[in-house]
Amino acid sequence: MIQILIRYCTLFVLTLLVLAIISFSLAYLFPGDTLENLTGLVPENDIQRAALERQFKLDQSYIFQFFYYVGNLLTGDWGYSFTSGLPLREEVGIAMPATIELATYAMLMALFVGVPLGYYAGIRCYSTSDHLINSVSITTYSFPVFWFALLLILIFSLQLDAAPISGRISLLYDIEPVTGFILIDILLSDIENKSLAFKDALSHIALPTISIGAIATASMIRITRRSVIDVKHRPYIAAALSRGLSSWQIFFRHILRNALLPILPLMAIQITTLITNAMIVETLFSWPGIGNWLIQAIYQRDYPALRIGMMAVSFVVITLTILIDLFNRMIDPSREKYERATV
Amino acid sequence: MPQFSLYDEEFHPSPWQRTWASFKASHISMLGLIMLALFVVCAVFAPLITPYDAVEQNIDGLLIPPSWVTNGSISHLFGTDALGRDLFTRIIYGCRITLGSAFITVVLAMLVGVSLGTFAGMLRGVRSSIANHLLDALMAIPTLLIAIIIVAILGTGLVNSMWAITLALIPQFVHHTRSFVRAEMKKEYIVASKLDGASKWQLFVHSILPNMTEMLVVQSTLALSIAVIDISALGFLNLGAQSPLPELGVILADGLDVAYLAPWNVAVPGMAIFFMVLSINIVGDGLRSALRKRVSH
Amino acid sequence: MPMLDIKNLTLEMQSSEGAIKALDKVNLSVSSGEIRALVGESGSGKSLIVSAICGALPNQWNLTADRMSWNGENLLSMSVQQRREVMRREIAVVFQDPQASLDPSATLGEQLEESIPDEFVQGSWFWQRAQQRKKIAISTVHKVGIKHHKHYLSAFPHQIPADIGQKFMIAMALVSQPKLLIADDPTRGMEPTTKTQILKLFTRLNQTRSLSILFVSHDLLAIASMSHSMTVLYAGQTVESGKMKHIKKRPLHPYTKALLDSAPSFRKDLPPKSLLPTLSGSIPTLQHLPIGCRLGPRCPRAQRACVQTPAVRKIHDHSYSCHYPLHMEKL
Repeated sequence: MIQILIRYCTLFVLTLLVLAIISFSLAYLFPGDTLENLTGLVPENDIQRAALERQFKLDQSYIFQFFYYVGNLLTGDWGYSFTSGLPLREEVGIAMPATIELATYAMLMALFVGVPLGYYAGIRCYSTSDHLINSVSITTYSFPVFWFALLLILIFSLQLDAAPISGRISLLYDIEPVTGFILIDILLSDIENKSLAFKDALSHIALPTISIGAIATASMIRITRRSVIDVKHRPYIAAALSRGLSSWQIFFRHILRNALLPILPLMAIQITTLITNAMIVETLFSWPGIGNWLIQAIYQRDYPALRIGMMAVSFVVITLTILIDLFNRMIDPSREKYERATV
Repeated sequence: MPQFSLYDEEFHPSPWQRTWASFKASHISMLGLIMLALFVVCAVFAPLITPYDAVEQNIDGLLIPPSWVTNGSISHLFGTDALGRDLFTRIIYGCRITLGSAFITVVLAMLVGVSLGTFAGMLRGVRSSIANHLLDALMAIPTLLIAIIIVAILGTGLVNSMWAITLALIPQFVHHTRSFVRAEMKKEYIVASKLDGASKWQLFVHSILPNMTEMLVVQSTLALSIAVIDISALGFLNLGAQSPLPELGVILADGLDVAYLAPWNVAVPGMAIFFMVLSINIVGDGLRSALRKRVSH
Repeated sequence: MPMLDIKNLTLEMQSSEGAIKALDKVNLSVSSGEIRALVGESGSGKSLIVSAICGALPNQWNLTADRMSWNGENLLSMSVQQRREVMRREIAVVFQDPQASLDPSATLGEQLEESIPDEFVQGSWFWQRAQQRKKIAISTVHKVGIKHHKHYLSAFPHQIPADIGQKFMIAMALVSQPKLLIADDPTRGMEPTTKTQILKLFTRLNQTRSLSILFVSHDLLAIASMSHSMTVLYAGQTVESGKMKHIKKRPLHPYTKALLDSAPSFRKDLPPKSLLPTLSGSIPTLQHLPIGCRLGPRCPRAQRACVQTPAVRKIHDHSYSCHYPLHMEKL
């Protein structure tokens, strides 16, 4: 047990190190002068340039600069953004929880709607309801996420005026950002008419969540359905039937456990797609998340922001992946190392 | 009573023929295949089909509605956009660019991924397991992030977005190839070939590769649908193909400005991407079902 | 009054080449307290009969029978619920590969306790019932000869050896106290020591609890040592059926004689270095079944009349179906 933990910790640290190396070397790969890219200041003459180089340690060797960079990352000095001048730590601290909130709600939707539907479709495989669920899920899965979000905006916001287009909450409310998750923050804050603020935030978050969540749900339905069909045809289910076990026992003890176990490793890839989709959708809804922030940064060529943003997103994704892998290794009694479920 | 066949040869179909027969039996899969074939024909014969030029602007004919609305005319089948360019022509050229670049991306990713995966799979040792875990962890980085980094380094453009998506698709191919090769190396027919004196290269080309084609075909269809969506997404965000190149995502982004006045500018390119991805997914699903049926009988 | 009575069971499937009759008028009956062996080569349809009795046939097969009854009740006309009740309490099946019949994600103890019917477990509180379940599980496991129950009951299926696995499957079949145990080739691929243990277990269960056993196999030695009666199956047709000692002394059907001849320990008078006598040819495939008696092309005594399926004839409950049986000239 301890061995597994140590192994995963080592893997985690190693992966982060590789990421840090990549993000460090980006400074040298970006077009233009390195000093200008890192600081945003254009030195007027050589003396200033030398002084700036000493200040930002650019005159030392690469190894030293790398350790300086990693040290800065760990202490929290992430530099300043070009466009806004604010410290990057603040900006990422505001933007990251917004995206995580969106992704979390979409993931919950995928889990609580997608898995039961996929399970139901798999149990009644090749029947009418299964064909219906399968065709709906394959159609939803084929929608490009940005077009789906656009259609939702056109129908619900512009035609029906049922939901607002942009932002997280109406400007009338001023919520103290405690956790960064707006729904939790509303419940924690002490303004009057909390329920109105809550409803307003819900209406803002509905459309983005639905557009990302629908695609994630469709994916989940397909994966679960395939896993359930595979398990249903195994010999031990036939043996259990011959012992005369009732349907309830078979479905909810044997099929469920064996069907859910292989799809856990696939959750990691789901999270990746989910975050990519969240980043795309944020631009359409002006949702102040890290995707929107990164895309604005690339439009304005804000290099320090790009480096730190990439590091932050990769860090979150890799932590989640490794945690899921660890969880999978711990609860599955008979896992073969590189076996994964298929779609 | 079985049919009386005295001297007829027995017909034993080969595995691919059986797969094709059971693929043909499903009507939906054949429909998907026909749709995909239609898109491929559009992509290949684009200059011959289209009446106008893709980038030629026509100041007199701004925002003409499509032909099925009363105001529209048949000379512009899908109408025109805000700069007077014919939408039908742009969509056909867009199919060519999106599908074509997605196809090239997948082929490139497959070549690199399969070689890396085979190399990792045929070797042994603790280092390979570390490399595999590392690759799995790095596989989790979102496509958009890789695209942003590459755009920041190399600049925007269709080719750069293709590089980004190739990089994002390679880990999938590496992972699946590696696990497949590792599983096959344990089987007895490989041992038999080795005892016959086959070198590693001969083992790969004659024994493992023919068995790998099915898995590769299935993975390629999955990767193709991901590539189409990602290339159009990057075009939509102006990080990939740039205006006036008629890539489907770019057409969608251009149409966004006039979405309320002229909704067909947004609807038609979106539908094109949707049907393209839908046909790829249906064909992929049908292929996977046919392969599964063949194995289980 | 036989417990399990099957008469003229026919199993048909529509395929691309026409209708295929995998089982053609099969007769089988098991009386209470006896061990009946069902013998046949691979491909003769033994497992299909087991699936038909269990009700687990895949959908493409059509089943017709003159009589298929259990204790007098017709199995075909029962509802699904009743059929499942019969399977749960009165008939138990032990399959071929113990590893494949066990759920890989649950421990052995959990699976065993799950199979215990609720009627055997009394107690008003659920922990009393759980304790009783555990007790029954441990006692059943001891009965089949697994000594270290603590270790094995908390293990997962992939951690146990094959012989413990098969004994465990027999234990799982026994918890519901069935009247008939169907063993579908349980000793396939086992070493002789393990095989003897399992066969001794079967004999013991039959004697102590008067449990009837339908033992499906093609291992003649095992069968001859322990079964009371035998039914021989060839390519989906029953060729001979009767008491074991009668068949061993005087096999009436040429196929039975060839079977018995091919096992060297049945013949005491073989000269050294002589060839073992066998029937030439091999069992026909489903697409090319011969008309009439299916042994026809291979039988050394076949003549023109064999293109018609022979009727079943009986002599003192030793039944055979052959136009030209052995030993009949002496009668």
